[in-house]
This record gives sequence, C-alpha cells and structure tokens, in this order.
Amino acid sequence: MRTSFVFSEVITGLRRNVTMTIAMILTTAISLGLLGGGLLVVRMVDKMQANYAGKLEVSVLLTNDISANDKDCTQQPCAGLRSALDQTSGVESVVYENRDAGFERFKRIFEAQPELLKLARPEAIPATFRVKLEDPERTDVIKQAFEGKPGVKGVDDQGKFLERFFEGLNGMRDVALILALIQAFAALLLISNTIQVSAFTRRVEVGIMRLVGATRWYTQLPFLIEAVVAGIIGSVTAVGGLVLFKAFFLDRITRNLTESGIIPPIGYLDILIVSPWLFLVAIVISASTGYVTLRLYVRL
Amino acid sequence: MIRLEHVSKVYKTSTRPALDDVSVEMEKGEFVFLIGPSGSGKSTFLRLLLREEVPTRGRVYVSNFDVAKMSRRRVPRLRQSIGCVFQDFRLLPTKTVAENVAFALEVIGKPRNTIVKVVPEVLQLVGLDGKEDRFPTELSGGEQQRVAIARAFVNRPLVLIADEPTGNLDPDTSQDIMLLLERINRTGTTVIMATHDHGIVDSMRRRVVELAYGKVVRDDARGVYGVGR
Repeated sequence: MRTSFVFSEVITGLRRNVTMTIAMILTTAISLGLLGGGLLVVRMVDKMQANYAGKLEVSVLLTNDISANDKDCTQQPCAGLRSALDQTSGVESVVYENRDAGFERFKRIFEAQPELLKLARPEAIPATFRVKLEDPERTDVIKQAFEGKPGVKGVDDQGKFLERFFEGLNGMRDVALILALIQAFAALLLISNTIQVSAFTRRVEVGIMRLVGATRWYTQLPFLIEAVVAGIIGSVTAVGGLVLFKAFFLDRITRNLTESGIIPPIGYLDILIVSPWLFLVAIVISASTGYVTLRLYVRL
Repeated sequence: MIRLEHVSKVYKTSTRPALDDVSVEMEKGEFVFLIGPSGSGKSTFLRLLLREEVPTRGRVYVSNFDVAKMSRRRVPRLRQSIGCVFQDFRLLPTKTVAENVAFALEVIGKPRNTIVKVVPEVLQLVGLDGKEDRFPTELSGGEQQRVAIARAFVNRPLVLIADEPTGNLDPDTSQDIMLLLERINRTGTTVIMATHDHGIVDSMRRRVVELAYGKVVRDDARGVYGVGR
C-alpha cells in the first residue's frame, strides 16, 4: 500500500469538494460539541453528588415566636425539640442556629448580590436546627416526626432541593444529547452525500483504477480516509468550541456559584477527559458511514 | 490464452441476447480484429473478458483465470494482466503524461523505484519521450491515444484490449496508432481490437472475428472488413 498516494488522493478530494467538506466538518463539530457538553454535565453532576454526600442536612425551621425570643434554645418548646432530635435514631448531630447566626450566614452566601442583602431583614430568617443524618437518604424520618409539631414552622430537606437541581441539570444533559443525536444524523447524511459526490467527481479516476486492477482497498480507502479526516477535524473543532465556551461563557455565568462552592467548576481537565470520546465517536461514525455508503451506493 | 465456450449474455433490460452461444479461441500473441455493427455484441465481448460483466451461460477463460467463476477478490489480478485502450482515451486532465502512466502502477501498489524506471521506458516505446511533463489538453488526439496505450502497456499485460482506439483519429494518425499496436503485439502481447475502420482491417490482414446479433458470423485468419462494403 502506497500511503503517499492514498494521502495525496485524500487531500485533492477534500479540496475539490471544499464547500461540502466544510458543511460536513461543521455539522460534525456541532454534534460532537453538544455531545461533549452533555458529557460535561454528567461529570458535573457526579462531582456534585460526591461533594454533597455527607454534607447534606435537614433543616428544621422554627416558628417566629422561638426565632424572636429564644436565642440559645433554653426554653420550651425549643429545648424539648432539640433533645427529641438528639434521641431520634440515625441522627448524627444537631446544631442550633439562631436568627442572628442565620442572618450572618445568609449575608455570606449572598455577599455577591448587595441588592438582595439591602432588601433582606433578619426577621425573615427563622431560627433553625441543622440536623445531620448518618444516612443522608433517610430524611423522611425527620420530616414525618417533626413536621407540624409545636414550635416547628417546617422541615426543609436540602436533599430534595438538590434533587430538583440535579433534575434540572439532567434535563439539560438530555436536551444536549438529543440535539447531539439529531445533529449526528444530519452529519451522517452529509458524510454519506459527500462521499457520493466525491466518488462521482472522481469517477474517471476510479474507473481507470478498476480497469488497471487496483484492489478494493486502493479505490475505497481515499474516500474512507477523506470522511475520517473530516470527522477528526470536526472533533478538534468541537473540543476547541468547548474550551471557548468554557472560557468566555460558562465561567462568567457560573462564577458566583462556583466560588461559593455550590456547584463544582468545569475545568479544562474535564474537557480533556471528555475529548477522546469525541474523537472516538467521530472516527467510528465517519468510518462506518463511509463504508456503508461505498458498499450501498457507489460502485467501485 | 483466451477462450469463450458457448457464452451467452442476456441483459435484464433486453429480451434479445447481447451474445448468443459464442465460442471463440485466441492464441497467445495473436492480433484479432473484432468487427460488426453497433449492437452486435463487441463491447459485451470485451466487458466479459474484463469481468465487467458475468456471462449468463458458458465459460470465459483468460490466461489461467476462469473469469466467470472467479471470486471478486481475484478480479484485480485478472485486470492487472489486461491492458485497456478506448476511443475517448480516458486520461486524467489534472495529471501530466508521465503521471497518467505512473497512476496505473501507483494504484496497484508498485514501488516507486520501479515506477521511475519503467515509465520513461514505455513513453519512449510509444514515441512520447520529451513530452513527459505535458498535460493531456496540450497534446494532439494521436498523442493522447499514445499516452493511453503507454498506460495500458506499462504493466506489461498479457492481453491488450482496444475498443475502437482510432475512432476519434484521422486516417494518418490512425495508421501511426496501428503501427504502435503492431509493435506491442510483436512483444508477444495478444491484441484484441474492436473497430469499424474498414481501411485498417483491410490493410493489416489479420484475423477477423465478425459478430452480428450476438453471434460469430465470420472468423477469418487473414480477413478483410467485408466484401462489398
């Protein structure tokens, strides 16, 4: 096999069909970019789950009456609730956070939004028991036992909130993957079409090759490699696009959330880890589409 | 060398067979004219030798190849032992004379040092030395056909098939091309030439196989194109 010959054929092929080639590369790139985005969301959710596991708490919010008058939880019903929580099986620790401490915490979390702080008053923040469980999944026990008890305003499950957040992220992931799939289908058709056009423009060459006894590999390989090269360029473009998206868009809109530790940042390392999959998908899809097209539509 | 045994070929789109029970044998080193009106089966005959088509019935042998029965994988081997020349030359316009000839060797995986050695040799044989770097459009019809013959012959095939090679050329140039084909024939290569050119067939006095409606109607060892034509 004369590689120099095959590659010179590939380059002429790509150049001759330049508009189709660009369309093919862009479609592939967008498809892979979306796939990469979906994979990054998956990584982010995984990281978050790892981050929050063990840190999740159940907040037992107390009534206004307790919040206003019982700073140290020495009176009833606060003291009674605390000992009841302490005695509940599965509870690891109980911390009382009075209104002032709660307001400080609120200020810390939202220090980046001074407008919000201006509007907030300590009276809106209830005193709270922060309850840590041995098994963060078993929040229902606390909810069932303490919701509606005298002095309790409500039971707030961070896990439930986080679940909703994850649902949102997973929804984003699903949308990205579905769009990636649709784009992949478009890319597939474009690859197939480009190969057919390419084979048509080179029909004289291919005719001569067949006639002088070139093997199937020799006649088909340039077309296949052409598709794979376009696929690889597409995946490189996709990775570049992800890097740019992270640098100029994602980092800006998520800065507050990542700095306060609510969501883990997506690093260049994450993109690096995702990119081999994009290359692999690009190569497999372009090569197999190319092969099937040559088999079905192009008589070589 | 070449043997057809009771070969028939029926195309799906036609009710009349393109070839109808044809049996012919051609020896190594023979020069054979294949004549007959359009639609008489000449092209089908040639396409069967190249295994561009498979016969509906009968057997085709070229050299050691059982052409009708061979597997697809072996077809390239068969074609490497057959050279082809056409009326329309079929040169690649983006490649030079030398590159056009080299192309035939490149695509069958011949090493570069062989190519650089044999391409100038064959170009000299066909009388194109000094024009290696010209493009096909810069050449006359006769010269283009010489390039095509060089390409067909560069791999030293056992058989050279020429399908109306002089169809686009004036009589003088045609004569030159025939001299070249004769020269190639003298190297021991079997030449099969389909043609409508009376003058050439009559002056060469070689074997003539005439087809009509898919049947062999004449096979003369030293024939002419036809009486009274």
